[in-house]
This record gives sequence, structure tokens and C-alpha cells, in this order.
Amino acid sequence: MNISEQKIREITIEVLKEFGNNISPEKLREEVYKRIETYIEKPAVTQNSMDSGRVIVTSYGINRPGIVSKISTILAEANCDIQDITQKILQEFFTMIMIVDISNSPLSFKELHDKLAKVAEELNIKIMIQHEDVFRSMHRI
Amino acid sequence: MPYEFEEILETIRMTQVEHFDIRTVTLGINLRDCADRDVNVICQKVYDKITRIAKNHVKIAQDIEQRFGIAIANKRIAVTPVSIPFDNLRKDEFIKIAETMDKAAEAVGVDYIGGFGALVQKGFTKGEKELILAIPEALASTKRVCSSVNVASTKAGINIDAINLMSHQIKETARLTAKDGSIGCAKLVVFCNVPEDNPFVAGAFHGVSEAEASINVGISGPGVVLQAIREAGKVDLRQLAEIIKKTAFKITRAGELIGRKVAELLGVEFGIVDISLAPTPAEGDSVADILEAMGLESVGAPGTTAALAMLNDSVKKGGLMASSSVGGLSGAFIPVSEDAGMIRAVQRGHLSIEKLEAMTSVCSVGLDMIAIPGDTPDETIAGIIADECAIGVINDKTTAVRIIPVYGKKVGDMVEYGGLLGSAPVMPVRNLSSKEFVLRGGRIPAPVRSLTN
Repeated sequence: MNISEQKIREITIEVLKEFGNNISPEKLREEVYKRIETYIEKPAVTQNSMDSGRVIVTSYGINRPGIVSKISTILAEANCDIQDITQKILQEFFTMIMIVDISNSPLSFKELHDKLAKVAEELNIKIMIQHEDVFRSMHRI
Repeated sequence: MPYEFEEILETIRMTQVEHFDIRTVTLGINLRDCADRDVNVICQKVYDKITRIAKNHVKIAQDIEQRFGIAIANKRIAVTPVSIPFDNLRKDEFIKIAETMDKAAEAVGVDYIGGFGALVQKGFTKGEKELILAIPEALASTKRVCSSVNVASTKAGINIDAINLMSHQIKETARLTAKDGSIGCAKLVVFCNVPEDNPFVAGAFHGVSEAEASINVGISGPGVVLQAIREAGKVDLRQLAEIIKKTAFKITRAGELIGRKVAELLGVEFGIVDISLAPTPAEGDSVADILEAMGLESVGAPGTTAALAMLNDSVKKGGLMASSSVGGLSGAFIPVSEDAGMIRAVQRGHLSIEKLEAMTSVCSVGLDMIAIPGDTPDETIAGIIADECAIGVINDKTTAVRIIPVYGKKVGDMVEYGGLLGSAPVMPVRNLSSKEFVLRGGRIPAPVRSLTN
């Protein structure tokens, strides 16, 4: 079965939301299994083997108000889905990592890259956008 | 989050701070179907084929570079050793082929094209001899063409006649490119046990057993390994080996990913990842620095060969786990001019050609980018090459010599090449004659493969 743990977790949360936290474990298991079945029946959305559709956006620099807002606005306008976000601030420096699904975006990777590069320049920070695959291959066996 | 915060930052740090890049993505192209009796027809066919297959090579590599955020330092081409399909040509005609390769490389935007070479470990065909005679002029009249000649192998022994001829051609190349610091010699390698899928110029060519076209990738990452060793602090050598292995694993995986994607987009076969530590003149991107971080006062100190052996072996072990298609030269390179730490050691008198030779018995290639006085006799160069071949033949490994007898320069002078080729201090060579030995000519027979003491 080709389904990631991440996806199973999402499905479970979805079920919990629908049925509330009082759902019995048996019912939960049954419901989750059912949805997994229907999920994998859908054709996988991949344009080609190149794309898991997710990119990792890393930004760092001197902290100032409005950085998260600026970056997420660009991503929202491009119809990108921010799936996860982590941020750390050490004194005046901040580092933020976002996992973003760009498969539904009308913009190409390059267009998105260029837009973020412009924002980086405006805010005087560094923004990197990299395909998820490179992290998977370097850090996961 | 599917990845740890630290993991993502580690990759970013490797690429942004520690000079981790893909050193080269080399597109191999078969030229064996370009044969003809008329050299002009051959040139047309060669030009058309290279420009057709490599048309998008640079563009695709740049695209992948951006997508993964890992720089690809060089996009290059390797072709079938031209002496093989065009064995009927004469010296002047081979020079025309080199000029055509140069033009084709320029047209598709690559900086070097390898494959102007021959495999003569056992003997010469007529065409191969003509090609070798054409090398000095071919390298002097082109900018991008690189040449390599294999003169020895464990199976065939050492062809001393070929070595003598090549030594002369090296000197001649140095003379013809004298005004640029004899740079022609930086594009000429003499090999023993040459691999057919090496992506690294100047020794790259598309082997006869390769597919129609293929992508081979050379990774590089001395800076990353250096940082890992520095961070490890005081640990014993076994733990240090473990750290090097883990680092090599990560960079090899990234290399394989990028190679596969480029090959997929170009529609050609993916060949191999060459897991080499290739230094650049940039500060911190040095193999010598790694050896020093391991605890040596300077590269050249007693213990250098042992440290290099361990480094080389650990890199291979980590890389082999990471990729099922490891090939090429795979190991640590120790070029002098391309490595700031090596240059420093030579200038301070810590590193001699003899010590470098000892190091080549455990590292991936050989005497690489070493400048020597321009008046070094042909026979002495032949002796150096023969020594290097002996190490390769007996130990069943690839060795090579890329030596630059810089025309008009003396020991202690510096020669600037710029870019990745760096700058080379002219090193002293022992003033003892090898003449009567090498001028005996003939071939040193293939060695016995047992009783290996």
C-alpha cells in the first residue's frame, strides 16, 4: 500500500473532527480504513516523477515585523498550501522553515522562486526554495 | 514536520557555507557512428551529433540546480576516444576534429569537452599514433578540448614506448602554450587503468562499453567533510571514520538525485556517481585542510599517507551505501594547484613530489596539476609517469599524471591559471637521470596477481 504516515495522520484527524473526540476506537479504525481505501483508489496526482509537489522554503536573517506575513501572502496568492511551519528566533536572528505544496499553483517553480527572491531583497533576508526530494534523499534512507 | 529542523539547516549550511556542490554533470556521447573516409564529413557529423544531444544539457542542469538549491559547478561533455572511430585519419585531420569538438562545445555552452584521446596500454594503431602526434597542436589551438591517453593497465602492463612519446608531447604542449603558463598541459592526462565512466575533466571520455549517451555525475564536498571533522572534536580514528562515512553518504545521495533528474530530463541513461572529494582553490574547500583537521601539522608530515588512506576509504564506504551506481575515479583528489592547502604546503617546503607520489598509492588518482621546471628532461617526465603507472598496475587502481613543465619557469615561481585550475608553485624535481632506463623502450609485462607482498 502506497500511503505515507503523514497522510494516515491527516485522515485520522479528519475523522476525529467529523465524529468528535468521543468516537469509539473501533469506529475510528473502521472509518480510517475505509477512507484509506478510497484515498488510494484516486489516481495519484503527480505531473511527472519530478514532483512530489512539495517544496521547502527556508528563510533566515535579522528579525523584523511582517516577515511571515509577507512570505505567506506570496504563497497564498500563488495558491500554494503551507502544510507545516517551524520557526526559531535566537536574539535578533530568526530562521523559518515551511513545507509547502505547490502542485496546485498556477506558477512554475521558477516564477515562485523569482517572486520569493524579490521579497527576500525587500526584507533584506535570505529565502531559499528547494524541492523536497533533496532533503528526503539526504536525510532518509 | 517530516524533517527535523536541524536536518534542513544542515543541508542549507552544506550548500551555502561549506561549498557543497555537484562538481560536474558530464554528458557522455558516443561518436562511433560518425566514421567516414572524408574528414569534412566526419567533422559535420561530430558537430551535429554533439550539438543535437547536448543542446539542452546546460539549460536542464541549471533548471535542476535551481530546483534543488544545490549548485552544479560544471556542465561538461565527454565523447568516445576519437582515435577509436576515426582510426583512418592523419595528424592534421585529427586537429580538425579537435577544432570541431571545441566549436560544438562552445555552441552548447560547456567549458570543457573530454575525449580527444587513445587507449594504448599494449600498443599503438596507426591512427592512435597520429592522434598522439596531434595532441600538442590540438590543445594549443582549442580552448575547451581535453585529452587523455591510457598507457598502462594491470592486464597489459606498462607501455614505456607510449610513455616516452607522451612525455615528449607534454613538453611540446607546454612549449606551444608557453604564453599562458603552459596551460595546455592542464588539459592533458596520462592514465593507468583509466575508468570508462569518469565524469571529471580532463580525463573524462565516453568509454566504448557505454550506452549511446549517458549522464555521469561527480560530486565534491571537501568543505562539508572538513566541517564535520572539526565539529567532531577529539574523537578516536574509528569514530572519525564513521563521521566521514555519514557525510559522504549524504552528499552522494544528493549527487545521485541530481544525476538521475538531469538524465531523465535529457532522455539519456544515468551512468554513475563519482564519489570524489574534489577540492577548489576556495578557502575551506581543500583536501589538505581535511588532513590537517585530522591532526597533521601540515600535509606532507609523516602520517599523511595513512590519514589520506583512511579519508579515501571512508568516503568510498559512505558513498557505496548511498548509491548503487558508484563508478569513475571515486576517492579524494590531491591536485596541487586547485587546493589552497596543498599550495601552502608546497610553498613552505612541506610537500615534495615523492611524498605526493606516496599519497597517490592510496588516493583516487595521481600526480595532478603539478608544475615543474620547464627544462625538466623528457626522460625524467617519463620516469615520473612510469613510477605512477607502476603504482597503478601493481595495486590494480587508477593512477594518472597531469604534470605541467611550465615553459621558461624555475623552481619557486608561481603560475596563475585562474578559476578552478588555481595557481601552481613550480616544484623541484630530482636532478637524477632516468634516461637509460626509459629509453630501453618496450613494455613492462603485466604483473602477477598473487604473492602480493
